[in-house]
Amino acid sequence: MNIVVGFKIVPDDQMVKVVGDKLNTDAPLKVSTYDKNAIEEAIRLKEKFGGKVTGITVGSNDRKSIREALAMGVDEVIAILVKDPDVYVTAMAIAENVKMLNPDIILFSEMTTDSGTSALPAYVSELLGLPYISNVKSLKIEGNKVTADRGMVSYIETVESSLPLVVSVGGEINTPRIPSVKQIMESSKKPVKEVKFDAQSKVRIREIKPMIVNRKRIVIEESDINKAVDKLIEYLKSDGVI
Amino acid sequence: MKAVVFSESPVFLKMAAAVAQSFGGDVIGISDSENVKFVNKLYIIDKMDEDGIVDLISSLSPDVILTGNVRRDRAIAGRVAGKLKLPIVTDVVSLKVEDKKVTLNRVAYSGMGLVTLESELPIVMTIANTQLQPKELQPTVEKVQLKEGRVKIVGRKSTSSGVNLATADIVIGVGRGIGSKENVKYAEELAKALGGAVGGSRPVAAELNWVPEDRQIGLSGLRIRPKLYIALGISGQPQHIAGIRDSKIIVAVNTDKNAPILENADYLVVGNAIDFCKVMLSKLGKK
Repeated sequence: MNIVVGFKIVPDDQMVKVVGDKLNTDAPLKVSTYDKNAIEEAIRLKEKFGGKVTGITVGSNDRKSIREALAMGVDEVIAILVKDPDVYVTAMAIAENVKMLNPDIILFSEMTTDSGTSALPAYVSELLGLPYISNVKSLKIEGNKVTADRGMVSYIETVESSLPLVVSVGGEINTPRIPSVKQIMESSKKPVKEVKFDAQSKVRIREIKPMIVNRKRIVIEESDINKAVDKLIEYLKSDGVI
Repeated sequence: MKAVVFSESPVFLKMAAAVAQSFGGDVIGISDSENVKFVNKLYIIDKMDEDGIVDLISSLSPDVILTGNVRRDRAIAGRVAGKLKLPIVTDVVSLKVEDKKVTLNRVAYSGMGLVTLESELPIVMTIANTQLQPKELQPTVEKVQLKEGRVKIVGRKSTSSGVNLATADIVIGVGRGIGSKENVKYAEELAKALGGAVGGSRPVAAELNWVPEDRQIGLSGLRIRPKLYIALGISGQPQHIAGIRDSKIIVAVNTDKNAPILENADYLVVGNAIDFCKVMLSKLGKK
């Protein structure tokens, strides 16, 4: 099976901080949280059906993050460098580079932690003319037939389709594996292909400001929880919320 | 100016229509319900088939495509943009259209950043939330039979628990720190006493199922705006904060006084969440 998994290298969302009137996104890089679930699912498909997992990433080519994916079991990574990537440019870059791989399935996560648009997998599916199933929480493949449960928040939808197709997965689909030291060592020998892609973005960023909500940040710490609750109730009454 | 609006959710469809009306052109709606009174033209579709809806929207060659923000809306918006190779901006909180140029604001970085973007028309966007109310109109109606798509819906199971967190004044959120599914009952009791409702972080709602899945609070679930939000055993992942940012007052209960949620809380009570619930209940009972 030809498996492709898209992942994004993003600033660690736990380390992105508001500093003064600026949002400091200059944080250590990592593979975006749910993208690891997509990688895990891709590797499980390979373990079950054989074949190859090709990772594809657009934007940052941070080698440490790419090695995280390779150590988990991705066989090869295509890292695409672009200028000003919006959804359009990113999707075009991916479509252009995965066509020749002739994928049976392309996996993404349903949302990244930085831009969080959920739009990329859908965009790619149309550029490639493939069916798309979003928000997958469980995936079953038998021959060419695909059955998936989609988590739609207020309901779960079960759908059927067939390969080849594009899916996006949610965090509940699996628990991403933690690579062994040996796998981490070996990951440095796996191929990383760096390519460039040139296209004009359609959406331009003009400004990024922090969303500032001023919270009181009062710590109520008492040896007796009764006292703590009394204090809290007083505060909440004066705030007029109870 | 021709705007096409679609949402699987009636609430979002209304919001999208209100935004579309503000552009001053024709508003075309797509819905599976006849009860849509705020568009100039309404296409009533016979099924929620995504291939069919994407084809229908694309065939109308709109200047602006607006969808809501529920998961199906996002899937469709992304696909329409891809099919027509258009710019797409999701979670739009405000926008301004001038001639063929549009300036938009959206939140990013799990709700920590407000980004201003610029693009040309035509464009696809998903609407995060708006206070705008649409004018009532008498649409001309056309029924459409969509073709059978490549993804077939074979089952649907409601996860609805009959509680609407989006409109609750008081919400209690539980996280892994509450310890077990059994312990959620303490949160439920407290919520009942306060006249509120219980929701949960993503791990608790979508993965562990300690609370019903439709009560998942966060970036990819519900974004709530209660008067009072009480987070029990929630450490404060950015994705969770994104869902509670608009709460008036946020109380966190955590055994760790340095839990990251403090940064986004008005009060942090240091202690065990179960003890807290029990004591709160007894105090409220005494009132």
